[in-house]
Amino acid sequence: MQSPAIPGARFVDPKVLMRVGNLELLARNVVEGFINGLHRAPFFGASIDFAEHRGYVAGDDIRRVDWRLYARTDRYYVKQYEADTNTNLSVLLDISRSMKFSSRGIPKLEYGCYVGACLAYLAQRQRDRVGMITFDNDIVSHIPPSAKHFNVVLGMLEKVKAERPGNLAVPLNKMAEHFKRRGIIVLISDFYEEPEAILEAIRPLKFLGNDLIVFHVLDPAEIDFGYEDASSFQDLETGEQVPVVPQSLVKEYRAMIQAHIASLTTKFSEHRIDYTVLNTAEPLDRALFSYLSARERLMRVR
Amino acid sequence: MAFLTPFFLLGLGAIAIPVLIHLIQREKKRVIEFPSLMFVRRIPYQSVRRRRIRHWWLLLMRAAAIALIVAAFARPFLHQGAIAAAANGGAREIVILLDQSASMGYGDHWTRAKDAARTVVQGLGADDRATLVLFNKNAEENMRATSDRTRLEGAINAAKVGSGATRYGPALKLAESILSRSPIKRREAVLISDFQRSGWSGSEEVRFPEGMTISTVSVASPNTANLAVPSVAFARSSFSGQERLTVTAGLSNKGDEALKDVPVTLTIDGHEIQTEKATIAAHASGSVSFTQFTLSSPNVRGFVRAGTDPLPADNTFNFVLAPSEPVSLVIVDSGDRAASSLFLAKALSIGTTPVFQVDVTSASRLTPAALEKRAVVIMNDTMFPPAGGGGALKRFVEHGGGLLVVSGDRATWPQGEADLLPGRFGATVDRTTGRSGSLGYLDYSHPVFEVFKAPRSGDFSAAHVFRYRALQTAPTDRVLARYDDGAVAAAEKKIGGGRSIVWTTTLDDSWTDIAVKPVFLPLVHQLVRYLAHYEPPTSWLTVGQVLDLTARAKGRGDRSDRIVVTPSGERISQSSAGEGNEGLLELNEQGIYEIRSTGAASGRPEAIAVNLDPAESDLSAIDPRELVAAVTGHATPTAAQPAQSQEMTREESERRQSLWWYLLMAGLLLLTAETVIANHLSRKEKFL
Repeated sequence: MQSPAIPGARFVDPKVLMRVGNLELLARNVVEGFINGLHRAPFFGASIDFAEHRGYVAGDDIRRVDWRLYARTDRYYVKQYEADTNTNLSVLLDISRSMKFSSRGIPKLEYGCYVGACLAYLAQRQRDRVGMITFDNDIVSHIPPSAKHFNVVLGMLEKVKAERPGNLAVPLNKMAEHFKRRGIIVLISDFYEEPEAILEAIRPLKFLGNDLIVFHVLDPAEIDFGYEDASSFQDLETGEQVPVVPQSLVKEYRAMIQAHIASLTTKFSEHRIDYTVLNTAEPLDRALFSYLSARERLMRVR
Repeated sequence: MAFLTPFFLLGLGAIAIPVLIHLIQREKKRVIEFPSLMFVRRIPYQSVRRRRIRHWWLLLMRAAAIALIVAAFARPFLHQGAIAAAANGGAREIVILLDQSASMGYGDHWTRAKDAARTVVQGLGADDRATLVLFNKNAEENMRATSDRTRLEGAINAAKVGSGATRYGPALKLAESILSRSPIKRREAVLISDFQRSGWSGSEEVRFPEGMTISTVSVASPNTANLAVPSVAFARSSFSGQERLTVTAGLSNKGDEALKDVPVTLTIDGHEIQTEKATIAAHASGSVSFTQFTLSSPNVRGFVRAGTDPLPADNTFNFVLAPSEPVSLVIVDSGDRAASSLFLAKALSIGTTPVFQVDVTSASRLTPAALEKRAVVIMNDTMFPPAGGGGALKRFVEHGGGLLVVSGDRATWPQGEADLLPGRFGATVDRTTGRSGSLGYLDYSHPVFEVFKAPRSGDFSAAHVFRYRALQTAPTDRVLARYDDGAVAAAEKKIGGGRSIVWTTTLDDSWTDIAVKPVFLPLVHQLVRYLAHYEPPTSWLTVGQVLDLTARAKGRGDRSDRIVVTPSGERISQSSAGEGNEGLLELNEQGIYEIRSTGAASGRPEAIAVNLDPAESDLSAIDPRELVAAVTGHATPTAAQPAQSQEMTREESERRQSLWWYLLMAGLLLLTAETVIANHLSRKEKFL
């Protein structure tokens, strides 16, 4: 089998992109950039979207004076346009050991790589800068956002391995120091911590004014706990083994995982963080499409 | 109780396996990796309860299943059965052939026959099996091979005398087939009958192989006295526009004594018309004629009854009468020649079965109305009818009419209407010079010439043909006759539902002298009967015949469903759409069958009279030893030879008893039940 020219290119699945390719990943917040892009900039500038009129002051470019308005009002007004700009997209991928779990189909880590790669592709296509950080209980690798780093991101995704136990607080606090400019941050993890601890770990990222998008990747076995035989269950993070009779606790387990998801949903929404649960049994294109289309719909309503 | 392979009993040690599984149940070591156990509670195994047996009866089921399967492999058998079988020479396969033909209704024949059959059943050993076969013309396996005496006796008690004729061949063939399939070595057939001679022709190819025996029980009575009415004849005559009928009953005395002043009664539609006295000598026949009566309506039922004797079934002869329907035909001639159809008209005026109703007209005067209700049109040396007559003639043939085209000097046929003829007319061939022509080939397989098939049944070569019209037939047309030079003399074509026949010479004395030959009259009658689709009326049928009711209904254009009421009152529904065997009715009973059409208006239902086979009245018996010798090839019945006592081997005893099969099945059933229960419990308790 011939290997692809770009390492990690397999994560940019044409089938998925065909489905989500007509969508745009728009920054919810105002971001700063140098290139005319899709995101709202904090400045008025050259654009086609008319914003408002303001009175002429000395020094304004007389080319921007609205002469028609002057003819009606006998006053000088200058037309202002909303400027669009580009932004940074940083994908934070959890590569702790729990992410390598797979009951059937692809592991959560690989699913997360697909999500990250697809979003990076979308961003790169709309001229945004793309970066990537992988972490477990510490930062493992870091690619700063750049317009030229898309291939580097893919190359890193190809190499990621889930080898160590995970922890959100330490690496995310470190990361918060890296982000100097507002941008879009995509966090992909399975969030096996208490909701308060998760929020506490994420909050520093939000403080900077970043647009935070959280993907909670879960395997179907983690959601429905469809085991039948009594067996020893081994925790992938800690290696601890516990004898379990699944049928005796399946109802309680399902209730607890649903409560965990509900708690995260509530807490994230309170902080205006987009939170999406991704089930690895579902096709990636469907999950991404539903998320992006919903986000785009909401952005248009503003 | 003994075992053929006792070392298999060592397998009983396997009973310990389920006990050990119950007691030494080990914890499962399967490890499942899971991302995080933060939601999973720790639940320890119930290690204390595992050390004692929880379901005693489940354990017993498992142990019993293993014990049964092991015992099955050890091949058990009972000594007692083997000894008993050895004492009477081993098990027997017996086929009881019980004659239920009509002749068995004579006196106490049937009672004695059933008693004899019961005696055979009561003599069955514990291992013997018997099959009851009831037979008359056909043989039927009434009770399959069984050792159950009660069922066999029940089947014998339920058997009744039928109306069929006696035939030993099918019954013996069936017995031979049943016995040859049996694995049992001692195989016997017991034939219980009155041994009517008429039931055995000697040409039946039945031969019992070596090892099969046949014993006979004859219930025939010596010096039987039997009077029968084997037939009835009807003479029809016309009187003042009404049809009158004379019934003549044939009587046959099969007894050794003459019968004097036997009352013979004619009953029509339930009314006794007349009673006559008859005297018939021993082994002789006679007849009684009754006075004429007028027949006006169809489906008139009647019967003739003569005297009383021990076999009353053949003393009555049933029939159904209907007024005869004349065949209506029109002869179309050219009209320019006096008496041109004289020969034809005269020949057709003579017929009685059927009566021909003949009208003569000319082609120019032939109208569509003249063809209504006609069965046959004879175009006798004439032109094709002009104007509407031609079209009407075409429709007439397509709708089932018969057309006979007789060619001659005046016969012309337009090209446009050539499809009505089997071929195209050519030039006239003159055979006046030299030797005259004659008919050289006749298709005797055709219904028209079938009656002339037998030797000296009509000499067509005596007729001289001086002229004829050449006829070029198509491959699809059937040539019925040819002249000595190979030219076509007669050909047939089927058009729609009708038939068209061309006779290429005249049917008078102009081109041929066939009209003055003896064959002329039957030839013309046969031609008209065939073209008219004439079927002689049947006043009765014989038991055993099969009636195609669907074909009959189609012939009459009746598409509705039917209900057939048998003489015994049984109602049989038949669908009009029935195909295959559904529309067939086997006439198994003597008497009157009624066929009611569900779509028909109220009126008299169609009736069919069914009578016994006349051979059943002849009670003269064959010597049973003669029949046995013919079937077995032995001069004396081998059943008389004492069965050789033989000691049964252990293997044979075990094979016959086949106890292992039952044990194995019981073991497997127990295992299945155990699986179901264990699964249910497993789910219920959520752990093993």
